[in-house]
Amino acid sequence: MLGSLFYIIVFPGLIFLITFALIAEFIDRKIYARLQNRVGPPWFQPFADFIKLAGKEDIVPADSNAKMFKVAPIFALASAITAFLYIPLWKTSSLLSFKGDIIVVLYLLTLPTLAFFIGGWYSTSLYSRIGSVRSLTQLFAYEVPLFMGILASALLADTWSLKGLAEFYMAHPWFWVFNLLGFGVALISLLGKLEKVPFDIPEAETEVVAGGFTEYSGRMLGFLRMTLDVEMIAGSALLALVFFPFGLNVNPVLGFLIFIAKILFIVSLISLLRTVVARLRIDQMINFCWKFLVPLALLQLLLNLILKGVLLK
Amino acid sequence: MGLVKKIVTWARIKSPWILHFNTGACNACDIEIIAALTPRYDLERFGVVLKGTPRHADVLVCSGPVTKQIEDRLRRIYEQMPEPKFVVAVGACACSGGVTDGCYNVASGIDKVIPVSAYIPGCPASPKAIIDGVVKLLASLEEKEEVKK
Repeated sequence: MLGSLFYIIVFPGLIFLITFALIAEFIDRKIYARLQNRVGPPWFQPFADFIKLAGKEDIVPADSNAKMFKVAPIFALASAITAFLYIPLWKTSSLLSFKGDIIVVLYLLTLPTLAFFIGGWYSTSLYSRIGSVRSLTQLFAYEVPLFMGILASALLADTWSLKGLAEFYMAHPWFWVFNLLGFGVALISLLGKLEKVPFDIPEAETEVVAGGFTEYSGRMLGFLRMTLDVEMIAGSALLALVFFPFGLNVNPVLGFLIFIAKILFIVSLISLLRTVVARLRIDQMINFCWKFLVPLALLQLLLNLILKGVLLK
Repeated sequence: MGLVKKIVTWARIKSPWILHFNTGACNACDIEIIAALTPRYDLERFGVVLKGTPRHADVLVCSGPVTKQIEDRLRRIYEQMPEPKFVVAVGACACSGGVTDGCYNVASGIDKVIPVSAYIPGCPASPKAIIDGVVKLLASLEEKEEVKK
């Protein structure tokens, strides 16, 4: 009981997760700045941003639905943090492992987008409404390839639980190499989920001010920004487990270091991608997802079906 | 309680998000403000980020004299910003009205409409002067906390 509480609140739950998420945001911004030939922010920047936002005035627009407007950021942050508790990190099981948890994690990672939509929609500002509708529109484009990419890996392992998946890949080392195509698809889809640059259409600054976040200020904006950071860590942890399932169940310290290295690798790939590409239009984004990402994910599914017949008789 | 206040003040100094608003400038000061935000000077070193909406901003950077048409809009933008908020007037026109003071369509400097925390003179103010002005404004924040004690 006490151990579970420690897992949820301190390590690797709430406190560790939030600290790590803010440090990851710094690493993301620093790499972004260095690739643009800038110096970049100091290491404490995300912490200062969050504390400053927490100390500012919370404005609720008079026309907005105050209840929905206030609940949405907390709802988004809570679901992103909960998703993290189901993902095995440096062991083959997590605190809340059960059969079928892979679906629950994907679902919990979808909920923040829905909360952004609800928050943006109920702030009753034109920019918020355009931004939130865009975020829901692009949800339908990136969600399918993300699910197919991750579930292709689960298909090879013949399981619906992350625990079973980790155990399968530990028993069959180097099988993860076959899933690299799926990793590419899932990584690009994750960019859409995190609203990072090629797919930052919902909060495109030059078009719709700040999208669904336009009317948010103070603490609630801080929660929304933290949700994106935590989602980045939770999403990277899921990708790290599904596509790089090695170094699990070793010495805890070594396992922890391998876990950190995997997450930082995925985070730096995300920053690299968001530096080298420009923002797409919403129609281009949807075309790209359905014309290229979905066929590639289907190819991965086909490959895994064939492999299952050939290698695992 | 004192420690919490100190941390919040520190965070405010380290993370000023700005909103750039042209109140009727000839565009020279705006170009200099944009120049100050480019990788050449890299204001993100000090945590400065340009934001698109007044709800996210801490510092309102105004350039140019306040024209009669933009007076109400300036006041509305100022009221949309959450507390604590600061206003920086960039350029001679924003400080006092400059050469346009007394024109039939101009309501004079920024400080006649909303309270201003820092004045940055120059026609146009150079990026270095703008950075210096913002840094001095933030330093004054720290001093204010010390005086209060």
